[in-house]
Amino acid sequence: METLQLLRTLSEARGPSGLERAATDVIADLWQPFVDSIAVDRLGSLVATKNGSGTAPRPRLMLSAHCDEIALMVTDVVEANGFGFLRVTAVGGVDIRHLYSQRVVVHGREDIPGVLASLPTRLLPEDRRSGAYGFEDLMVDVGLSAESTRNLIRIGDFVTFDQHLVELVNGRVAGKALDNRASVAAVTICLEQLHGRAHVWDVLAVASSQEETRLLGAATSAYRLQPDAAVALDVSYATSYNAKDSINVELGSGPMIDQCINIHPGINKALIDAAKALEIKFTHVGYGGNSGTDAQYIQIARAGIPTGLLSIPQRYMHTMVETVDIKDVERTGRLLAEFVVRLSADFIDTISAEMLEA
Amino acid sequence: MEALTKKLVEAFGPCGFEDEVRDLIREEVAPYADEIEVDQMGNLYALKRGDGSGLKVAIAAHMDEIGLIATHITEEGFVRFTNLGFIIPHTLMGARVRFADGTLGVVSRDKARFVADMDKMPGVDQHFIDVGASSRDNCPVKIGTPGVIWQTMEVQGSRWIARCHDDRIGCVIGVEALKRLAETPHDVYFVFTVQEEVGTRGAATAANRIEPDVAIAVDVTPASDVIEGFPMQMKLGDGPGIKIKDMGMIAHQGLARLMQRRAEEAGIPYQPEVLLVGSTDARAMQIAGPGSAAGAISIPNRYTHTTSEVVDAADVENSVRLLVEILSKPIAL
Repeated sequence: METLQLLRTLSEARGPSGLERAATDVIADLWQPFVDSIAVDRLGSLVATKNGSGTAPRPRLMLSAHCDEIALMVTDVVEANGFGFLRVTAVGGVDIRHLYSQRVVVHGREDIPGVLASLPTRLLPEDRRSGAYGFEDLMVDVGLSAESTRNLIRIGDFVTFDQHLVELVNGRVAGKALDNRASVAAVTICLEQLHGRAHVWDVLAVASSQEETRLLGAATSAYRLQPDAAVALDVSYATSYNAKDSINVELGSGPMIDQCINIHPGINKALIDAAKALEIKFTHVGYGGNSGTDAQYIQIARAGIPTGLLSIPQRYMHTMVETVDIKDVERTGRLLAEFVVRLSADFIDTISAEMLEA
Repeated sequence: MEALTKKLVEAFGPCGFEDEVRDLIREEVAPYADEIEVDQMGNLYALKRGDGSGLKVAIAAHMDEIGLIATHITEEGFVRFTNLGFIIPHTLMGARVRFADGTLGVVSRDKARFVADMDKMPGVDQHFIDVGASSRDNCPVKIGTPGVIWQTMEVQGSRWIARCHDDRIGCVIGVEALKRLAETPHDVYFVFTVQEEVGTRGAATAANRIEPDVAIAVDVTPASDVIEGFPMQMKLGDGPGIKIKDMGMIAHQGLARLMQRRAEEAGIPYQPEVLLVGSTDARAMQIAGPGSAAGAISIPNRYTHTTSEVVDAADVENSVRLLVEILSKPIAL
């Protein structure tokens, strides 16, 4: 599939943290042709296995890209003039400044379109006419009578944003949930590339659940799968107009290869070696502290798992216009495939020995 | 259950010092459990074996309550202290404290004589406890002695008033459900956990040990039906809450639906719960080890984390009924 279409399909899939099934169904369809087995686990993560060519028992690599997206949840159904309105709260890191006038879909007993709205500015008291609307000011209007609303929608139903992917010029796309479906697209490209190439290691591709709320899917999948090594994929901040000086990675400059306390230097080096072998553009980024990605919990699962992290540059994170460069997504997928192909049976011993020498 | 509740809420058990509560619960569950165990952290496990056709299920209620611990004794014999869990400082002034050794004390705060300061709320560290000592040497409380705010349980109509329904009422519901659970397809571990109020620590250990398929916490949730209450729907007496989301987790949606279906089938009133503050042991059990399908039964509780928490007897009874309904039938996720 063309990468543009791949990104559109993934971005427009609906997978709020905690109810990823619709998204994992879409991803399973995309991965199915390239893997040996595929299943959704108890906590909603999709796990696909592509067997390696080495002799069993083969070492196993976990790839983790979270597939959940920020969303909303119904907290109350209130009645006004016989109509039903929904109060909502955030699922994950929702920025309230983008909520007003969003189109949404309420996942009740059936999917129901709605609008997230408040009173027009001129009808508000003067002291409330500026500033963002918070959850106390906003209601989802689904256009139904109070009775029908109560019959179809319950407290606790998920609400997702209704946004189509927009193709910008210069190979860029903007849309919802590209955090982190852009990485899911990269893993898809990786699996497609691996389909025709020999690799020693088993690859366990995970579309992990509930990253936006608590890194749940990655933590539990890593424990369950107990891989020998892992690479997490996520999006990270790209520079844009008025960005801080500390953010200096441009869109279109290739994947970031992260080095932080969650990252094993051996994996980091192998990712860089793979990028260099492909003569692919990349940025080696280093920072203190945790990455705030799946890598953080995979690293400390079980007795510890050597973990690397690739980040796709992205503008406007956690908005409805998250923007990425298509080429960066493709580069990330190709880099990942090259990294996998280059893994030797004794790779872990090699990086462990290097650690001891250093 | 009223008698058992009185027994448990008047037992001493701040975070990390749950021994007295554990002994009482152990006595209650011993005749009904197939196995009983206490781990190194102090969690109590009462296992009710299933017929082999079901899942491994953990039901967790925490034994610990918010409390305090002496940090310093002044030369004049006053006790300085810090909190074990989240103490609301407003509840301290004039409160009575019971220490582990039975010593009683009363709480006051620095500069309490200044009426002009009454609109300011000093932190826990600006309070002290008077146990009647006149010097550091004759003060029976030493550094590290734990204590709790002391209150007895009172009953008025269907309302039970006590200092630590959070979460002894969950323990009562767990004990009672075990007693009533005649047969179950599941291996059900009733876990009475330690140190929930300082970060769901006991439950994390317990879930790593058991590796349950399904984990359900039984804990209180703030009732919102008071003057300018929490912006949520949770009424005292309208039935147990069935957790869908709180600050710490999103419940397993299949489990949350199943719990609601069981309540509907049995005609048990319930309230779907989306809580905007706080979390429970389920949070820790969800992410421990390989992870579990986690949810919670929440007992509506007014004035949580004060010395006078209020629950309704009907909610307690309905929570037990709901738990027994869930556990006595197959769980398909």
